[in-house]
Amino acid sequence: MTSYSKEVIADLVAGTLPWPQTRRIMSAYKDDDRFFKYVAVLQDRVGWEEPILLPVGDHLFICQSGDERVTKCECGHSFGDYRKNWKLKASIIVRDTEELLREIYPNSDLPDPEWMEIREFICPECGTLHEVEAAAPGYPIVHDFEPDLEGFYRDWLGKPLEPSSKGG
Amino acid sequence: MLDKPASALRIRERLIESERLMEGTGCYDGITELSLRNQDPLKFETLHTKLRAYCVSAREMARRISASPGVREVGEMVVAIYTPEGDAIALSNGIMVHVHTMSRFIKWMIRNGYEENPQINDGDIFANNDAFIGTVQVPDVMDVMPIFHSGKLVGWAGAVCHELEAGGITPGGDVALAQERFTEGLFVCAEKVGQNDELRRDYVIRCERNLRMPIYWVLDEKAKVASCIDMRESVKALIDEIGLDYWMQVSKEFIEEGRRAQLARARQLTVPGIYRGHTFYGHVTAGKPGYQPLGDPDWLYNMPIEMQITSDGKIIMDFEGTQPWGYHSMNCTPAGMDGGMFVTLTQTMNFEGFVNDGAWMATELKLPKGTWTNPDSEMAATATSWALLLPAYGVFQRLLARSLVARGFVEEAFVGQVNSPMIEMGGTSQYGTLFGMAHFECAAAGSGAIAIKDGLDTAYVGWNPESDMGNIEIWEQNMPMLYIGRSIVPNSGGAGKYRGGCAFLSTWLVSKTDHLRLVTSEHSSRVFDNGGLCGGYPAPTCQKHRAVRDTNIFELAEKGAPLAHHTGTNPYRSELEVRLEGKHVTVEGPYITAPHKTGDVFTHSYNGGGGYGDVLERDPVKTAWDVENGFLTREAAQGIFGIVLDEDEEGFPVANLDATKRHRVEMRAQRLARARPVSEWVAKERERVKAADFAPEVKKMYASAIKLSARFTRDFSAFWDVDAKSTFGVE
Ligand SMILES: [Zn+2]
Repeated sequence: MTSYSKEVIADLVAGTLPWPQTRRIMSAYKDDDRFFKYVAVLQDRVGWEEPILLPVGDHLFICQSGDERVTKCECGHSFGDYRKNWKLKASIIVRDTEELLREIYPNSDLPDPEWMEIREFICPECGTLHEVEAAAPGYPIVHDFEPDLEGFYRDWLGKPLEPSSKGG
Repeated sequence: MLDKPASALRIRERLIESERLMEGTGCYDGITELSLRNQDPLKFETLHTKLRAYCVSAREMARRISASPGVREVGEMVVAIYTPEGDAIALSNGIMVHVHTMSRFIKWMIRNGYEENPQINDGDIFANNDAFIGTVQVPDVMDVMPIFHSGKLVGWAGAVCHELEAGGITPGGDVALAQERFTEGLFVCAEKVGQNDELRRDYVIRCERNLRMPIYWVLDEKAKVASCIDMRESVKALIDEIGLDYWMQVSKEFIEEGRRAQLARARQLTVPGIYRGHTFYGHVTAGKPGYQPLGDPDWLYNMPIEMQITSDGKIIMDFEGTQPWGYHSMNCTPAGMDGGMFVTLTQTMNFEGFVNDGAWMATELKLPKGTWTNPDSEMAATATSWALLLPAYGVFQRLLARSLVARGFVEEAFVGQVNSPMIEMGGTSQYGTLFGMAHFECAAAGSGAIAIKDGLDTAYVGWNPESDMGNIEIWEQNMPMLYIGRSIVPNSGGAGKYRGGCAFLSTWLVSKTDHLRLVTSEHSSRVFDNGGLCGGYPAPTCQKHRAVRDTNIFELAEKGAPLAHHTGTNPYRSELEVRLEGKHVTVEGPYITAPHKTGDVFTHSYNGGGGYGDVLERDPVKTAWDVENGFLTREAAQGIFGIVLDEDEEGFPVANLDATKRHRVEMRAQRLARARPVSEWVAKERERVKAADFAPEVKKMYASAIKLSARFTRDFSAFWDVDAKSTFGVE
């Protein structure tokens, strides 16, 4: 069975693993022990103790916080119950004028702001840009991901989660 | 060589039986146990590899027969071997989107009594390019031939090429002007076009008299027939070796194995749950010549996708909430939607080469009737269905990418594909002959980023994993235009920690013709039809066309004065305007216009891909390299990515790491100062929604989605706390 050291996974996740090695990992059979090594790498990276249960973005994690399961920014900011859309608790910059769109697209033809706006969802504490939506004005904010967290741990990882009194 | 069937094939009954067995057991054709694999796994794998090799070599051989630069240069072809019931067992590389569309075509003939009339005999050739029977669009012409052994139908060999000219209302094949089926081009509807291993002469004559450039189509037909015969003979020789019973069983086990492998792969690489995403598409044709007033000329399409990964690893994609089909060329049939799913899976999850229809059986598509994904009128045109298919399956790739990021397989998390609009042409060639051609350099767009690296520059398209733009010299042999530029478009990839791959732009001088019709396929106007992921931005994909008629380019060349080789980076004044005199034209949306002639200049840009991650985390050193090589501008490096660049002694950009750090701290602070709580924004925006204070096309989009989908109506109403129906005046 394919398996890599935690150091290799850490470099892979950081984007610093040399390309020939990355390329070999891409071409090889996948390592079945990836998930827990990956979570361990991320746990080392974040500055807090609450156990990460599932990464849901580049700097966004579902973690066990006391008896709650919450979506948390890498900086430690909590967006609340993981089953709710974290975006509703975020901060937002909306680019809905030519001037604001031009800041990101300096040379190209621009969307018509009457037809499309760019929404940036930001951590209110550290300012990390977590997600960008390009949507028609008035389009409801998307709830990107509702993981079957308990099913995943129970049926696919074979390691059921401890029952949680709150937060699923 | 030819083998006459001993008795009636009764293949229709067999197909029904096979489907019944699948329904009853959940396994392909009732194969609940892979007994041959268990008996001798080595023999099993060797045979599978052999079949794959038959396909790959048949395709390579056929490419040498073709006259079309699309097939020869760019590889717009795929071949496959099927069971008697029409399920793919093994396939070649190439435009794998068609493996399952061809499956639909074979099944369609079986269901429609082809066994009795026109009969299925050894040596017969059947062709199809009708998307409602099984293909994506008119130029995707497929040929299949039955394989007989010992008087029994034992399989099919099939091949597809994308034709560069399909004889529609405008030249090429992705005919943007087609608003109904009847203007898309030459249809061959599951027709027997040859017998005894030979194409019928009357069929070839029909092609010759209905196409602008028949040499492409006709020689491609011969190439496809040759590849089918090659695969057929290989399979027959294999059956001689392993025995007929073994073949009939093993071919089914390969498919059932493929189905199980797909489910296992999903359980290995993803996380179960519900994933959502969307993209948009702007269709702008008001005032364009040739469009009939059959529907609203301008239309904003929303493409929401909800993907479910079930606990057994099945992937279900649901398009509920999207727009109705329309009198335009971008509708898609279920066959096309299947094809999009299949080709995406082969790249993202089944990359070891053994993929077959089993993978498709482990997925489910929910295509609401009446939408562009499943038109309830078979008169709908599908000539440019890729225009919506590619953005839609780009969403699918991002949804899968989210699951791969969650699971830790970051090296496979891919922001996905974009539409790569094609240019097409016809009229009088540089040789003074009539011609028509689709220019396939579009098969080399920028790709979306990966969660650990930048996207591929000018080297990816969704429909063909072996992306290739072809050689300039070959294209110049086939059209009356000369390249005066083919360049990277700076900042055309979506910004992010890892940027999307960049697009390229071609600039041509029309040469040696007084009548060149230039058209483009559909591409999005006024909205981006792609997205970024995890903080990455979408790529700028609503580019306009720029052309100059009656230029002074020959005078400039005579004087040795500088010419324009690209449009430049000033969005308000292009290089064409700076360098060339003449009549300057800027066109939004598909380019449909009066013929061009010698001395005119035309530009067309393809698309870049979306970015991944927060821009303020981008590597400054890599960015300096990007600036040096023209993928990013200095202005973008500083203004968007927050990277301060100095210059070395020779004037090359070098990242100033300290200044970058300081600049980024400032940019982050600015971000926070500018941002406001989402709840505040939602409360304010709600007032706008209640008043339906939107552009007419946006209102129409909401009204159409509400009419077609109870779920969209419910979700919209709940999110904004309004009555969606009354807001948009829907009964
Ligand atoms: Zn934060």
